[in-house]
Amino acid sequence: MAMVDVQQVRKVYRRDSQEITVLDGIDLQVPEGEFVALMGPSGSGKTTLLNLIAGIDRPTSGKVIVAGTDVAQLSESALAGWRSHNVGFIFQFYNLIPVLNATDNVELPLLLTNLSKKDRRERALTALKVVGLADRARHYPRQLSGGQEQRVAIARAIVTDPVVLVADEPTGDLDAKSAHEILDLMGSLNRDFKKTIVMVTHDPRAAERAHTQRHLEKGVLATNGGQPAAH
Amino acid sequence: MKFIPFVLKHLRRNWVRTTSTILAMAVCIFLFCTLRTFLRAMDDARELGNVTRLVTRHRVSLVYNVPLSYEGRIGQVPGVKRVANSTWFGGSLPVKKESQDTKGPGDAPDFSKFFTNLAVEAEPYFAMHPELKIPEDEMQAFRQDQRGCIIGRGLAKQFGWKAGDTFFLESFIPPYRRREGAFEFIVKGVYDADLVREPAADNSVMYFHYKYLYEGTGQRIAAGTYVVELEDPTKAATVARAVDELFDNSDAETKTETEAAFRADFLSMIGNLALLFNSIGMAVIFTILLVTANTMSMAVRERRTEIAVLKTLGFSSGQVMGLILAEALTIGVLGGGLGLGLSALLINALPSAPGIGTMVRGFPNFGLHWQVTSLGVSIALLLALAAGFLPALGAYRSRIVDMLRQA
Repeated sequence: MAMVDVQQVRKVYRRDSQEITVLDGIDLQVPEGEFVALMGPSGSGKTTLLNLIAGIDRPTSGKVIVAGTDVAQLSESALAGWRSHNVGFIFQFYNLIPVLNATDNVELPLLLTNLSKKDRRERALTALKVVGLADRARHYPRQLSGGQEQRVAIARAIVTDPVVLVADEPTGDLDAKSAHEILDLMGSLNRDFKKTIVMVTHDPRAAERAHTQRHLEKGVLATNGGQPAAH
Repeated sequence: MKFIPFVLKHLRRNWVRTTSTILAMAVCIFLFCTLRTFLRAMDDARELGNVTRLVTRHRVSLVYNVPLSYEGRIGQVPGVKRVANSTWFGGSLPVKKESQDTKGPGDAPDFSKFFTNLAVEAEPYFAMHPELKIPEDEMQAFRQDQRGCIIGRGLAKQFGWKAGDTFFLESFIPPYRRREGAFEFIVKGVYDADLVREPAADNSVMYFHYKYLYEGTGQRIAAGTYVVELEDPTKAATVARAVDELFDNSDAETKTETEAAFRADFLSMIGNLALLFNSIGMAVIFTILLVTANTMSMAVRERRTEIAVLKTLGFSSGQVMGLILAEALTIGVLGGGLGLGLSALLINALPSAPGIGTMVRGFPNFGLHWQVTSLGVSIALLLALAAGFLPALGAYRSRIVDMLRQA
């Protein structure tokens, strides 16, 4: 069974009386442990598809089944709870909370669990260790480089041990060296921790790290999009 | 509980703005509690008057005196036990206190040390005021000296006076002034007010012989008020009516009322303080509501992306709303607590303050009452909740994708 199963999804935005179709009958299956890169020009619907998979938006029609749950059928609060357990989101601009240090930022999703403060701390430090930032645990975002901030954001995304990681241009705001390190880290999470990853990117070099590349064009997935990546 | 550190860290984000909002809230609660304390003290003064005594005064105003001949006629009204002349002297210590040099005309009275001083007919007056406890030997010494006076324990403490000390008082009321200058008084005794027996009793009044004032002013003055003791407190209304009917259509018609009503009339001479204080309080509360609401709106607007991130991480809309309301409540608690503390400090310090202290000491039970405290805390919390509600509701309703797109 696919970890992510997108079936005939349409997403239409309404602007005044005008309807804009962003996604038009998308079908996408991502097997468990897969690393998929979604590519395409601006406005093609990549981020919208990613948001639907992450459960932060709802399709106009069709089904989005992730880890066996049809996310479109969940209520707002149930969807929030589902996201906290099943999805780790990595943003292009990291989106760390500036008043919290690295550990506190990583610990944030754990506040929604019943873990004790000590356990939350331990897990947050473990996640920081996984991304190689144990020595920056008490640093604030302003004291970190872009690459380090993104690594903290990845630690925050994996700290609840979600089944799917979704990343929206995770290297889009980084220099080449940092981007390389982040992609290495994501590859490692996929390879060593068996995380299913769906990544939106413009960067062909980033996309090459994925097992599969899918191309979106005007809200439609290219039929020949599945290009096996070189491992 | 686990979210409290998160809320506090957010409040520290823009500490200047947070501090100024807390201070604004503190000023609001400080003003509210202080003004309410004064209003409450005035209400208490109205309500706690003795029911066994009436006060007869000129119908037109306290400014006018009533003839001395009225005393005997009032005493003959059925139901009246005793009558005593009680005239408000309005005396102040001259600037050069306790010095013979002050007898010269033109010495300015020192209103910063103003206190209540009443010229009374000692025998009936103290007989009908059993709550004023005076040792018999001191009372005896007072009776025997026309310049003698009895002072409250509060006055004795304030000025360090004791039996045998002398001081001078000069009235600002023209008929009670004399060419020779200030009146000299000798402390003959100190009374303690029994506040259990009479909660409205005042420990900071000076009493002296009406005869001394009468003779010192050339026997030209009348009585400020008459205090009338009743044989039966349940007949207060009947006796009051009978007294006033006695002087109907005379040159000096009277108004007889209970002590409580008399206090209310006296306080109303200052003006409609309740309306003034309440208006000030409401204006301040409304202003602070706008200030706090603006602060919270700015704080939330600046954090649209963070709110989106929290929701993406799995925080429900209700939890996000709760965090924002918790921030507003924290501002309310800190500002309210600070305002209450400042108000308590001021209210505790006022009785010993020069000038206003005398007036404050005259109020029974003057202090920060728990009802005022509770109301102050409730207003602080309600203000905070009201100020935080709209921004919190906005965060509750906002969609993740919209906020991320606007970032």
